[in-house]
Amino acid sequence: MEVLSNLFNGFQTALTFQNIYLCFIGCLWGTVVGVLPGIGPLAGITLLIPATFGMDATGAIIMLAGIYYGAMYGGSTTSILMNIPGESASVVTCIDGYQMARKGRGGAALFIAAWGSWVGGTLSIVGLMFLAPFLANVAVKFGPPEMFALLLIAFILLGSLGKGSFFKTVPMILLGLLIGTIGMDPLTGTMRFTHGIKDLYDGIGFIPVAMGAFGIGEILVSTEESLVRFVSKVKMRELLPSREELRASWGPVFRGTGLGFLIGLLPGSAHVLSSFVSYTLEKRLAKRPEEFGTGRVEGVAGPETANNAASESAMIPFLGLGIPTGPAPAVMMIALLIHGVRPGPLFISEQPQVFWGLIASMYIGNVILIILNLPLVGLFVNLLRVPFRILFPVILLICLVGTYSVNSSVVELVILLFFGVLGYIFRKLDFDIAPFILAMIIGPTLEMAFRQSLMRSAGSFSIFFKSPIACTLIALSCLLFIWNIYRAVRPKKASWEKALEEGE
Amino acid sequence: MSKERGGSLIFLAAGIYGLIFSIQLPLGRWNQPGPAVFPLSLSILLCIFGTSWFIQGKGNAEKKETVGLGGFAQKFITPIQIVALTAAFILTFDSLGYLLAAMLYLFVLFLWVSRYRFWTALGLAIAFGAGSWLFFGKVLTTSLPKGFLPL
Repeated sequence: MEVLSNLFNGFQTALTFQNIYLCFIGCLWGTVVGVLPGIGPLAGITLLIPATFGMDATGAIIMLAGIYYGAMYGGSTTSILMNIPGESASVVTCIDGYQMARKGRGGAALFIAAWGSWVGGTLSIVGLMFLAPFLANVAVKFGPPEMFALLLIAFILLGSLGKGSFFKTVPMILLGLLIGTIGMDPLTGTMRFTHGIKDLYDGIGFIPVAMGAFGIGEILVSTEESLVRFVSKVKMRELLPSREELRASWGPVFRGTGLGFLIGLLPGSAHVLSSFVSYTLEKRLAKRPEEFGTGRVEGVAGPETANNAASESAMIPFLGLGIPTGPAPAVMMIALLIHGVRPGPLFISEQPQVFWGLIASMYIGNVILIILNLPLVGLFVNLLRVPFRILFPVILLICLVGTYSVNSSVVELVILLFFGVLGYIFRKLDFDIAPFILAMIIGPTLEMAFRQSLMRSAGSFSIFFKSPIACTLIALSCLLFIWNIYRAVRPKKASWEKALEEGE
Repeated sequence: MSKERGGSLIFLAAGIYGLIFSIQLPLGRWNQPGPAVFPLSLSILLCIFGTSWFIQGKGNAEKKETVGLGGFAQKFITPIQIVALTAAFILTFDSLGYLLAAMLYLFVLFLWVSRYRFWTALGLAIAFGAGSWLFFGKVLTTSLPKGFLPL
């Protein structure tokens, strides 16, 4: 089969010393940022983007992807041992994971989380391997009207499934789209909102915005609390789970894989949503649901599997269609664009060594992660003892010098600080900044598709309805919009909606 | 002020800014939309959402905290310190040079914000400042401002 021979070629690319090393660095750093509260995978990825400048595109994406799915593994460590989620998708793991640790079953909980993550991640990569090329082949036939309709529904879905209500997310998307128009208009060459500042002619850099909003913004929020953190010691009697625990984890692991894979395809907070939906499902299927919250294995196995599966399947629309459906793929897209590689329908056919090299590296990365997260878990627990009041100044400095290293521009440092403050303000006001970043990155594509469609049709909007694909997607967008209006006005919300609105 | 109102002011400000400057751009024609179409539409929508949130925020004002002004300031003092110091770093690092500016920046952060003792803060600042200079300047060969130090 063609897929298998491509995968074989991918392994030939991934199994070079340099790429294995970069995969290891990415997984290691991802685990570290996943373990440390206050630094998420987004900050972890953006901090290392400048380090990728001397690498080729394959090596860069291998390392950055390793950070992304590595953080999903690492996030469970603090959830289980400290009842503090290392990153947002591990919030649900705190509920039963910490209770297992209190009963002396912390080691078993960590094992189950790592094992579930490995299964979910690996099976999800299989799906990625088959579905991404298929989607890319379909999308190659897309013209501007289809692309506009696809992006429109992606934004509507982002608003529907993101953290917070739809009508709270939409203005963030609009703001991101507006910021994305800064710079030279690609069709006419007209400068928009640059005010004569040369550094803005190419638009606002994504890196200072992403580093500011996710790096500096996150630190400003974290430093509001006490800078002194306490790590409680939890006794781990054994690392290996008992037979009953292992048997109880099978079902949630495989259900979590399927759920996470499907939810990961959707824009929005897929990794958070997948873990919550998985937990809810396992609770509903349990014979004694009242025991959830007291240290049930299913409460750890399902969510941790689901969030890992979702993080892998989120790569499908990103690589196959060029639509990053979450903030982490969006930041990875920035990194790829810097290396002159544009994810999208032509990416797999034009850059097969990058795509298949990445797929193969993800299999390798999942093996590396299970080794890092099981026998070496004690090493990462010790990281929690590094005082946050030492970490945050260093991270701030890295954000600054990392941003400066891109274009040696002081203007970009000002942009970094501005968006850091803006990201902080939005977090205090309970507005999700991730849709803003996503919109900023893919907004120019949306605008281009819209304008090109009208140019093709001599100004007639019927072009959007003559194409069956575009017409269907626009109709679905309208239905989704109406559904969101209904959600906003009805009195009672579903539990998963409440969880997303309340955030992590 | 409620959170919705706070957010609405940002959206309104962005919308009004976008309106003012996108009106000055060419709109084009239906068969060749100009560079103003997209930002103008977005600005109008932002103004609508901003206004809507501002009005909606009136009934949603959270109860005022009973702590006094001192308590309010205490909560934000650390973020304000960090922003102020970062702004000072940005303003001075081109003239002072990266190495010196980074060490000063870290020193003040460790001393003033993290509240380490003088010599501990100084040691940490020198270690991490020099370390970052070595890593970015020598390993990654990033071009960093030299300032007046002969490095």
